Amino acid sequence: MIALALDIITTAAILFAVAAGLLIILGVLKIVNFAHGGFLTIGGYSALVVTQLGWSPWLAYPVAALAGMVMGAVVERFVIRPLYDRPLDAILATWGLGIIIGQLITIIFGREIQFVQTPIAGATSVIGETYSLYRLFLIVAAAAVAAGIAALLNATRLGLEARAVIMNEPLARGLGINSGHVRFVTFCFGAGLASLAGALITPLSSVDPNMGVPWLVNAFMLVLVSSVSLTSLAAAALALGGAQVLVSSFVSPVIGGLTIVVLAALLLRIRPAGFGRG
Amino acid sequence: MSQAVLDVADLCSGYGEAMILRNVSLAIRPGEIFALLGKNGMGKSTLLKTVLGFVPAGKGSIRLFGEDITALPTHLIARKAIAYTPQEQTLFQDLTVEENLRLGLRDDRGFAEGLERVSGYFPIVGKRLGQKAGTLSGGEQKMLIVCRALLGTPRLVLIDEISEGLQPSMIERLAEILLAERARTGMAIFVVEQNVPFAFSLADRYAVLKIGEIADSGTTGDALAASRVQEQLRV
Amino acid sequence: MSGRLALAGSIAGLCVVAAIAGPYVLDSYTVNILVRSFLYAATALTVDILWGYAGILTFGQAAFFGIGAYAAGITFTYLDFSPQNAVLALLAGLAVSAAVAAVTGWISFFHGASPLYVAIVTLAMPIIFVQILYSGGTFTGSSSGLVGYNTFDLSVESWFTICGVGLVVLTTVAWFFVNSDFGRMLVAIRENEQRCTYLGINAPRIKILLMVVMAMIASVAGYAYAGYTVVVAPEIGSFVFGTELVMWVALGGRGTLIGPVLGTIVIDVTTAYLSGNLPFVWKLIIGSIFVLVIVALPQGIIPVVRTALGRMWSAATGRSAMASSFTVPAIVDARAGRRAGAGSDAPALDVADLTRSYGSLKVLEGVTFKALGSELLGIIGPNGAGKTTLMRCLSDGYERTGGTVAAFGQTIARVPPHGVVGFGIGRSFQTTSLFETLTVAECLTLARYRLDGAGMMSRMPELALPDSARHVIAATGLDREMEIECRHLSHGMKRALELAMVLALEPSVLLLDEPTAGLTKPERTLIGNILVELVQREGLCTLIIEHDLDFVRDISTRIIVLHQGKVLLDGSVAEVVGSELVRTIYAGGEHKGAAR
Repeated sequence: MIALALDIITTAAILFAVAAGLLIILGVLKIVNFAHGGFLTIGGYSALVVTQLGWSPWLAYPVAALAGMVMGAVVERFVIRPLYDRPLDAILATWGLGIIIGQLITIIFGREIQFVQTPIAGATSVIGETYSLYRLFLIVAAAAVAAGIAALLNATRLGLEARAVIMNEPLARGLGINSGHVRFVTFCFGAGLASLAGALITPLSSVDPNMGVPWLVNAFMLVLVSSVSLTSLAAAALALGGAQVLVSSFVSPVIGGLTIVVLAALLLRIRPAGFGRG
Repeated sequence: MSQAVLDVADLCSGYGEAMILRNVSLAIRPGEIFALLGKNGMGKSTLLKTVLGFVPAGKGSIRLFGEDITALPTHLIARKAIAYTPQEQTLFQDLTVEENLRLGLRDDRGFAEGLERVSGYFPIVGKRLGQKAGTLSGGEQKMLIVCRALLGTPRLVLIDEISEGLQPSMIERLAEILLAERARTGMAIFVVEQNVPFAFSLADRYAVLKIGEIADSGTTGDALAASRVQEQLRV
Repeated sequence: MSGRLALAGSIAGLCVVAAIAGPYVLDSYTVNILVRSFLYAATALTVDILWGYAGILTFGQAAFFGIGAYAAGITFTYLDFSPQNAVLALLAGLAVSAAVAAVTGWISFFHGASPLYVAIVTLAMPIIFVQILYSGGTFTGSSSGLVGYNTFDLSVESWFTICGVGLVVLTTVAWFFVNSDFGRMLVAIRENEQRCTYLGINAPRIKILLMVVMAMIASVAGYAYAGYTVVVAPEIGSFVFGTELVMWVALGGRGTLIGPVLGTIVIDVTTAYLSGNLPFVWKLIIGSIFVLVIVALPQGIIPVVRTALGRMWSAATGRSAMASSFTVPAIVDARAGRRAGAGSDAPALDVADLTRSYGSLKVLEGVTFKALGSELLGIIGPNGAGKTTLMRCLSDGYERTGGTVAAFGQTIARVPPHGVVGFGIGRSFQTTSLFETLTVAECLTLARYRLDGAGMMSRMPELALPDSARHVIAATGLDREMEIECRHLSHGMKRALELAMVLALEPSVLLLDEPTAGLTKPERTLIGNILVELVQREGLCTLIIEHDLDFVRDISTRIIVLHQGKVLLDGSVAEVVGSELVRTIYAGGEHKGAAR
């Protein structure tokens, strides 16, 4: 029972961390970033490089975030910027980017599955239940990501300008805000977040060049049902992630893997605002 | 004569092929208050939007403080010491009063002094800094957008139909404040209005826009002007 | 038409010859690969019709391909191959694909759904399909699939000819389909779905139907694939294959049919030859070209080549290669007497206590009025009074928050705009929301779809229009511009076409939102005269929103003044024009009491 509850909370934490970057990019740029899976993969391989270099596994997180941001900067400048007025084409171009990232990684690192060192190993006892310490750490990490985003959005000038662009871009421009710059910074930030999430999830499984893809669709569905709000995203991750854990435990893991997609699609059909206030 | 603050020459603009403005020319001098009058749908807001770069100019030129800004992107125009208050969607409804005010400045310097000054005009704005702008009443929202425009020290303020839906006492107060600010900083003010008495109580000069063309212009000191303009705007 | 038809026919003929001769000319490896490419190309063609023509970006066609393939694989593995079982498997694949497509369509297409949404739903479909295959265990062969079942006793050469000819036939049929009236309607839905629904077209239903048919075609291709290769594995229904299909279509050229077919064949064959030597680099190259094409050449490669060839052709011959090749339909009289509400005693429009609020903000409140036939009712009011919102509430059953709207005594339920058109209500828009790449004749044909239907494989030779619409196009000179694409029309012509399209719906109630915005004085006068005449002669009940009060005064029989979401005044032109209250809210001046 306690293990189940912990599974639900940690799954929700992971899903939140994975989807947050996507949500931010969709909110400010109004673009669905299909390269999100690619950025997750970059994060995973950043962790692998840190392991191979024999550095402290803790360094994986800043390295991953930095790698994602740099890559994001290049991508925004050359691919995303020409496509702001063509959102459907942006989906395709970012998907193509995902392929490019996947192939580059395959060429550099090979296509086999590899493992990454965990910064926290072992298990601890939570109210009499033995539970993985790293999964517990992920709750802290997701909370830190949420707090970081909230602080950036609410306590900085750039965050204020980003929120202004989300709410009413023409008015923001009329007040002298360079929405192009805000978009650029947001994309870099979102890409960095995605890579950080990639580094966070790798110790749970392994890295391979297509590791990002399975996360992609779940992350999309969560973002879609949360109407571009971080609080709604947390709620959606908890509700749908919880459903996934329950279905996986009591019905079948394979069907459990589909729970988020199916529930989110039905939810959107019945209530297009999803978990948002709408 | 010193250089015009805003110089619009032979301007044509509109949406797609629908030309809303046809060969409009006007100039605003430093420290001057200029009123553009006209009924709904005559192109007044389009003129302001063209100046700000929201609507591309089809023909003609726009010069701001002597610099040609006809093809500049909106945010660069908006940074040239001008303040713009649009007619619709004037505030970020889900941001707080304070956040809305902060967005009136390019950075956070001078915010405290500016806030103290505008709170002097509208004390209610200073008292509700933490409230969401969308929860203010219509009149309070108007006060907030005026405060946002006056928070910095713009050299030109563009105001689109601020008096619409305001009660008479508020309108009078607004005219006083704008005149006081002009006296304090020497800023130029460009108001777009349908309310003739308000416009005439404020402006030095006026022009009337009719189906995209300037149909009449002159100084507000002209004794017969007010009633003539009133007639032109009649139902 | 005939020239283009002959050209298309000879190309198709050549392709058939090639499909028969191919096996004797090409080496067996290439023949082998090409059979597969043909089947992929057929599936890519369905992606092109969905995405390139109808604007439905889909990653899901792979799943239907997979369903068709697994229907064959499972049937032949467990029931063995026999002619009866072959038919059974085909039908099973078709039925399952159709059912899945219908459900997917229902989830993706509804009034107000975002076009991004279907991309995500169809992306999930292959993922779900593959998960189901995995969970099928030994029955579906899990991740390794099913192999070595008995299948059709056909040589590779026969497969080549069957699939090749099949692809040619499919492409030809598709060509007729996309160039038919129905095909043009799909383009119209892609360009402006909202406007289509206001022309009485049930766009969601049409998109669901299209998706079902395209799913069935993909399923047949998958079925043939399973019969040919004697192996079905999860990869053929996977999300990667789904995205590859979209890439092939994008590279070849969306919305060109031939581009995606050639693109698929060229890329698939090249992949087969190159991927052995440089597997990852090749995929990297394809991915990079894909991104480059999307960013720099969104129309794909074939249209660029075609334009270049066309230029060379016209430079060499001095003639234009791209002359319009479809005959313009002859305009004829529409059958009379199909107007809703004919002979009814009830008022044309009866609005009671209409309310529209967004959260706590009330944009319309307690709006009540009646309008009769032959009335030209001007709706005026300052900005933000709720005029356009009123139009929206009258023309879309979902818009109003409270109150009732009835046309000729029939209450309009909560139905989407295409349903409201059925009550005899036609609406024009404030912005000229036409269809850029459709011609004038095509726009008018579109407006007639509700009454006259549309040919799936052909264009109707005649365009039946009611008197009123014919009058508008004749008076404004549009009848001489029938072949012109809308984007080349002047603003005045666009306005006139907008009006003619609404009239072509044969409405009994006409809702016009600023029909003269942006027009010159003579154009206004012309439109005004036409409206007055229409109302008098045909007895249409007409509501018109206008900013130009002189214009409203000249043409209206009655005026309603809206102010802050409420009816401030409802009376004759003289009453309203003489009202001090109206003057006050309009011209500013003293704001005393009453207005608030």
